[in-house]
Amino acid sequence: MTKHLLLGIAAVALSAGLASAQDLKFKPGDQPDRFDWSSYDQFAKDTDLSGQTLTITGPWTGNDKKLFESVLAYFAAATGAKVNYSGSESFENDIVIAAKAGTPPNVAVFPQPGLAADMARQGYLTAMPQGTGDWIKNNYAAGQSWYDLSTYKGKDGAEQTYTFPFKADLKSLVWYVPENFKEAGYKVPETMEDLKALTEKIKADGGTPWCIGLGSGAATGWPATDWVEDFMLRTQKPEVYDEWVTNKIKFTDPKVVEAIKEYGWFAKTPGFAEGGPQAVATTDFRDSPKGLFDFPPKCYMHKQASFIPTFFPEGTKVGQDVNFFYFPAYASKDLGKPVLGAGTMFGITKDSPAAEAFVKFLETPIASEIWMAQSGFLTPNKNVNPAAFANDVQRHMNEILLDATTFRFDGSDQMPGEIGTDAFWKAMVAYTTGDETAEQAAEAIQKRWDGIKK
Amino acid sequence: MSAIAGQKSRLTWAVQISVVVMVVLWLIPTVGLLVSSFRTTDQISQSGWWDAAFPVEKAFRDRIPADGETQANGAYVLEGNLLTDGQNAQDLKSGAKIVAFGTSGIKPDKYKPGETADLGDGATMTVNADGTFKASSPVSFEGSGPRVYFVADMPPAFTLSNYREVLYSDGMGQAFMNTLTVTIPATIIPILVAAFAAYALAWMEFPGRGLLIAAVVGLLVVPLQLALVPLLRLHQEVGIGQSFLGIWLAHTGFGLPLAIYLLRNYMVGLPRDIIESAKVDGATDFQIFMKIVLPLSFPALASFAIFQFLWVWNDLLVAKVFLPANDWSKVMTVKIADDLLGSRGGDWGILASAAFISIAVPLLVFFAMQKYLVRGLLAGSVKGG
Repeated sequence: MTKHLLLGIAAVALSAGLASAQDLKFKPGDQPDRFDWSSYDQFAKDTDLSGQTLTITGPWTGNDKKLFESVLAYFAAATGAKVNYSGSESFENDIVIAAKAGTPPNVAVFPQPGLAADMARQGYLTAMPQGTGDWIKNNYAAGQSWYDLSTYKGKDGAEQTYTFPFKADLKSLVWYVPENFKEAGYKVPETMEDLKALTEKIKADGGTPWCIGLGSGAATGWPATDWVEDFMLRTQKPEVYDEWVTNKIKFTDPKVVEAIKEYGWFAKTPGFAEGGPQAVATTDFRDSPKGLFDFPPKCYMHKQASFIPTFFPEGTKVGQDVNFFYFPAYASKDLGKPVLGAGTMFGITKDSPAAEAFVKFLETPIASEIWMAQSGFLTPNKNVNPAAFANDVQRHMNEILLDATTFRFDGSDQMPGEIGTDAFWKAMVAYTTGDETAEQAAEAIQKRWDGIKK
Repeated sequence: MSAIAGQKSRLTWAVQISVVVMVVLWLIPTVGLLVSSFRTTDQISQSGWWDAAFPVEKAFRDRIPADGETQANGAYVLEGNLLTDGQNAQDLKSGAKIVAFGTSGIKPDKYKPGETADLGDGATMTVNADGTFKASSPVSFEGSGPRVYFVADMPPAFTLSNYREVLYSDGMGQAFMNTLTVTIPATIIPILVAAFAAYALAWMEFPGRGLLIAAVVGLLVVPLQLALVPLLRLHQEVGIGQSFLGIWLAHTGFGLPLAIYLLRNYMVGLPRDIIESAKVDGATDFQIFMKIVLPLSFPALASFAIFQFLWVWNDLLVAKVFLPANDWSKVMTVKIADDLLGSRGGDWGILASAAFISIAVPLLVFFAMQKYLVRGLLAGSVKGG
């Protein structure tokens, strides 16, 4: 009886059809001043993969998935291959299980180079086609740092380029509401000294300068690691940052502790962060920026990566209702304009001609431009046409990325998983709430790191 | 109990009240989820669900366009309605009322409706509760009209948009079918296998029976996560791969220890006389199983069926591992988690409505079979051994 009922419901539910084939967002040949169609035509002429299937898995879901699929549609149209992308919220676990069980996709999109490096070391990645490494060095801004990020030791111990970085995120951004700044007479700070002075001034004026939220479910604490990384780049040389990421200098080193304390100055000084340190530790990072848009404003500034506009209240226009500035560097320290970022790395987990052709496709300007012309895509690729960006806001962000004198990838994403996605997060939460001092927090992380070295 | 039969204990009331309290406490999260499922993501992050039924005060900002300027008595005048024609008209559709207004973001509630605010340079502005305003200035407003902040009393608002988004999203029907395709065989197969095994372990004498039962009990405590990779590897080697057949087998395997244990405990409690007299009459084990034990064990079978059905229906992990990662083999849990929650999972409203939509079928199953659940559970546990 129950079964009949179920079948009835099932039949009704079947009315929704399968997803229809994706159409090309921009017709090839249209708007030649924005898109490099010759690269598309050339690629289509050189590559024929009809009858082949390419499977890709990655961390992009929801809207990001739709955007990525709009790019894939061009690859499919150019080569005749069938492309099947599936995104997963738990990509990091899924890909490891799939690789170990022998059911990997052709291509995997890694949000963290650390994970890709692990998989390369275990022999689950196939090296990129010949010449990809040199291509990255020559065509990406800060090419050497991107090259280093995609080059790991394989199972045989030899260093090779195993991933292709495509799509970057910018982390060193501070978001603010221009209208609020205008009304209160505040100016966008150009140096870290100015930013600190502004923070003190806002507090003196009776406002709250910052909204900070570390909450993120099981990943609670990660936003604080971005703060610390940004301060590592603003107080120390990039080489020191690299040594820190690989633990050549210890977490307990005074240089690192100083960076943690710099973050603490913003998050823990009474009156600087909305709700005080306890609220900072528990507020969800997705809800945190909403304080910018209250009246009276709950806070004036919010430091977060380029993806955060997704979580602004519905209908908020970036560039108009809200804007951003570069998280400035100290004028007194001669460290240039360091930029902290993140990005996704494409790795071949099951080799096939289609997979290798796909990497070649990602090198073409058109692959980037299709995504740029929509939203949420930044790239260090110097060959793309900035005119392709959908708006000035993104163009401006990408300029920050291209102008960076130093680019460094999110450090916690490169550290071993146990540190970068656990110990570091937890220690930052403990430090923020005041359960631990900066020194104690650093020591707790270092202890864990010593533990996994054995 | 029989001693006080027919007369109401004084404790009855205490028991009933505490039951009600327990039930209410138990239901609070569910009610919260239900209320949240009718609210937008912005509403959810602004106020708790317990405030959903009350009007909320919310502040808005508006800039009055200066192009509607008129001249009267030597003053430049702007008139209009903030609620119906302003920049926030979309959000203020039904029945909002202005309770305060102001001219700066720091004090958006400085003036009561009807009061006159000083805009500086001799300009003034009045805003009324119904949203109408009048600003006048001795000089032209020229291009940029005055900025105004106001606090509006928003009536409670509920929306079905979350449900619409979940129900009408691409491929939801396919996901629903897939979930059924996984769940029904993955419920029936283990019951079939377990019923035979349970009978054998309960009523057939053979060497090593005790050890076998102990092994089954031991398997109850093995976390299935341990078996994911080796099992998938095995499937890959024998050619099943990632497929529906694979997930049926996986769920069967993961469900069997509990099924055998539950059914065996129930069957062992059946009256020995019936079974022995059947044996004396010359019935084979198969006949006893089919004609006597199986009909008598229906409550236990039903209660296990509910368990297994709910567990497979709600399962995310096994489906992710054992089904291919493509759009047309996604089950509902995977579809909801990966496609509907938005990038980085920020859409709380969708999560709530998806929970209620995916709960519908298990609820039907539960209510259809719940009278067996309690009987089966009690019988299996209390009489066990």
